[in-house]
Amino acid sequence: MKSLVLVFAPINFVDALLLKFFSPETINNVVWPFIQIGLVVTLVAGWVAYATYLERKISAFMQARLGPMRVGPWGLLQPIADAIKLLTKEDFIPDKADRGIFFIAPYIAVASAFIVMAVIPFAPDWGVIADVNIGLLFVLAVSSVGVLALILAGWSSNSKYALLGGLRSSAQMVSYEVAMGLSLVGALMFSRTLSLSGMVNAQAMDSVWYVFYQPVGFLIFLVSGIAENNRAPFDLPEAESELVAGFHTEYSGMRWSLFFMAEYAAMVVVSAVAVTVYLGGWYFPFVYKFTQANGHHNLYVIVSLLVFIIKVLVVLYLYFWLRWTLPRFRYDQLMDIGWKWLIPSALINIVLSALGIFLVQAVNGWRGFKTIDSMSAGLNLTATGKALMIATGLIGLVITGMLLSRINWRSRDFNLKSQRRNIKLVNLPKGKPAVPVVAPAGGSEI
Amino acid sequence: MKSNNRRSAIKNLKSAIENNFMPLVKVPKPKFIDKLKRFFMVDLLKGLGLTLKYNIGAVTDRDSVGGKGIYTEQYPKVRPDVAPRFHGAPRLNMDPETHDTLCIACNLCAIACPEDCIDVLAMDVEIVVAGKPRKKKVLDEFIFDTSRCMFCALCQEACPTSCLELTQDFELATYSRAGFVWNREMLEQGRETVKYTR
Repeated sequence: MKSLVLVFAPINFVDALLLKFFSPETINNVVWPFIQIGLVVTLVAGWVAYATYLERKISAFMQARLGPMRVGPWGLLQPIADAIKLLTKEDFIPDKADRGIFFIAPYIAVASAFIVMAVIPFAPDWGVIADVNIGLLFVLAVSSVGVLALILAGWSSNSKYALLGGLRSSAQMVSYEVAMGLSLVGALMFSRTLSLSGMVNAQAMDSVWYVFYQPVGFLIFLVSGIAENNRAPFDLPEAESELVAGFHTEYSGMRWSLFFMAEYAAMVVVSAVAVTVYLGGWYFPFVYKFTQANGHHNLYVIVSLLVFIIKVLVVLYLYFWLRWTLPRFRYDQLMDIGWKWLIPSALINIVLSALGIFLVQAVNGWRGFKTIDSMSAGLNLTATGKALMIATGLIGLVITGMLLSRINWRSRDFNLKSQRRNIKLVNLPKGKPAVPVVAPAGGSEI
Repeated sequence: MKSNNRRSAIKNLKSAIENNFMPLVKVPKPKFIDKLKRFFMVDLLKGLGLTLKYNIGAVTDRDSVGGKGIYTEQYPKVRPDVAPRFHGAPRLNMDPETHDTLCIACNLCAIACPEDCIDVLAMDVEIVVAGKPRKKKVLDEFIFDTSRCMFCALCQEACPTSCLELTQDFELATYSRAGFVWNREMLEQGRETVKYTR
């Protein structure tokens, strides 16, 4: 344990060194944030490079292939080779393109994905860049700027495929944005704060991840998050079989790779928010007890950081997993899921969680039941309250599913199912047409 | 009035089905268990399970034949095992001890060849057998045109000393048409192939 602490001594050393040159206020408000931002941007850029490698490897493994193997051991240098190739490629601009917008669109995409990282708590204490008290609102607001980039790219390319891709992406992202925002409301009722650090703290105090209280909300957030990122099965904006490459058809070289970067960075953002809000963020049982309680503060922060990264990687694996399992949705199916399933179920979820919280508060103090522990950091429940809330969440999942399948049964697939069930060609006698040209009214003679 | 029309239409449809007038068949409606499966997205989970099974199988690479591991052959690095009856590049076998050719220049292979791609050039050598000078026919040059060969291995069958043999080597591509014609040296030593180590 002592040697482990020595490993993290440089952090204290850097702090001591900085104190010689700057005042503590400058260090806290300027120098450390810059170091953190640099680290996060570097790590995320590295992730983006290796996400392409992971994507190719995982897709290969799922199809019983090997994936990249030639560049470096196990193809580990493939992303670097790709980056060099992209940097040296011609930066092609179409003749009739709107040059200014064409130039700026990829930067908007990347910036909107990276700015969100500022408010995400990667770990306690110095793992937070900015603890904004409207963190969740900030995430939703900035990440939806990414849509603008796709629309601008699609419009400025002056190509039909790009325009169609941009149109699709705007329709898709606008409709899924609603469900995404609504699904988070349920979790907010438990944390009673919009600050992302506050949400993690509330879950740590409660020692229950909100995914147990909010299974419906988590599912909605995950699905709409995948749709937000234009990942398969929701990759209609860049459906290569229909639209060549969608909104970035006319982009090449480094500008194209910026869109790629934005996609993978946005994936990290959505999974990080999902982890923070629903999977407890950097909180994991027993970490505090074995590190901070023994006085190893920096170890505590770094183990928490590792926990956060592992959780994010698990969610990111889910992205790859779904992409290589499910085929792309049709456009009407996409809109079906967005408007007929996700948004109503998000609304039902809000009502049901409100009812659940009301129930817990009503039960508290009734015939000696004690459900609420404290209201200091979020809604802290006792064991009885937790059991009650988890049961409410599960019942909510079933109720939401049943209610919506009952409602949506009426408008399913334009009744194609029952038609298909009835019509099937069998046992046709030879020499007769499959379907008589004009059926007589009586139906007796042929 | 309207409902009456509709009812008669249904009646017509039914009679049509009964008289085999319209080729319709009743497919059974989904049972409750099917609806339940759909509700809990069992098929989705099955699909996810399949891809996960392949992924884990590829990472651990247990059984590539059983459908869980990696199928890809890394060809230049790892050569595939061809079938035992595969006929590839020709070779003239030598006596393993004396390193003399086994070929007796009998010309049977050239006669057996349906494509006429073998030329056996023999020469006479003076030898002494039991104190008397004799002439012996030995192999001088052996020309094998692999561009015309169809790898039927009839020459291999015809060879009385099992000298000519079609091996399992399948890399026969060359940069020129002349490269397809193999002489005796090439047939005895074999072609130099590039070995990839990584």
